[in-house]
Amino acid sequence: MSNSTSPLGYRFPGGRYTIADWENWLLTDCTTAQALPENLAHPVALFHVPILGAGTSIAELFEICGAEGPGSVGLDGYDWEYMHPLRVGIEYRMEGGIVRWENLVDERDQPYDSMSFSIEMFDGSELVARVTNTWRFRRRKVVVA
Amino acid sequence: MSRIINVGDQLPEFVVPSVDPARMKTMAALLRDPYRVHWDRQATREMGLDGRVINQGPLNLSYIVNMLHAFAGPTSVRRLTVSFGRPVFDGDLVVAGGEVTDVQDSLLVCQVWLKRGDEIVVSGTAVVDVAALASVSL
Repeated sequence: MSNSTSPLGYRFPGGRYTIADWENWLLTDCTTAQALPENLAHPVALFHVPILGAGTSIAELFEICGAEGPGSVGLDGYDWEYMHPLRVGIEYRMEGGIVRWENLVDERDQPYDSMSFSIEMFDGSELVARVTNTWRFRRRKVVVA
Repeated sequence: MSRIINVGDQLPEFVVPSVDPARMKTMAALLRDPYRVHWDRQATREMGLDGRVINQGPLNLSYIVNMLHAFAGPTSVRRLTVSFGRPVFDGDLVVAGGEVTDVQDSLLVCQVWLKRGDEIVVSGTAVVDVAALASVSL
């Protein structure tokens, strides 16, 4: 993807998401842990809940950023802040967008685009959590004859 | 019985003896994750990875969270800042660990990691609040 099609500044539609009990049970089981007490959601819910709650999806993010197939997408990092623990059954409101886009070259001289998106999660007007995730979109090297 | 926490203390490890591909499939469904490398062995064969599927990054991070929960309780995590290294595959044995690097009132700053053998596959910093643990001395 060239600079002219940079998705920097793209805003997600925003929306709401309620973590279901069954969903949290399965999610927690995937982590190999036992269910947490007092309707606590596993903190790793802070990956998919903000994405889906903000009205987007992994598939849409791949499309927006021009993912090129298996092996073309990588994770660079997460910064997840929890102002309050996440809980099952609470309707959270999400808003956010793509906050960073850079055309870079890796240590093997292969081009990639580095994208960061940030989403805030609210309970009413209170900020509950904020995520900033950075993904890498590897590009085929174009050789000009 | 009280527990005293000091800078330099190691956090008890959380061990995943064998990363389970069935859990990756469930996770992919929960995340609505269309990336085939997590559930389709043909996709990773095409990448030259011998058909082993790749664990989701959030699951790798979740093992670190589980380690923190075991140490400081289920409401303790305040911030996770991590970067990812090489992929974790089905069947891998991985171990989450950490070390206290700073103490600020009831907050502990910890260096955290996930290792496969000697290789660090996730590394970063966690901030955990131990205020809920009444028996802790800082």
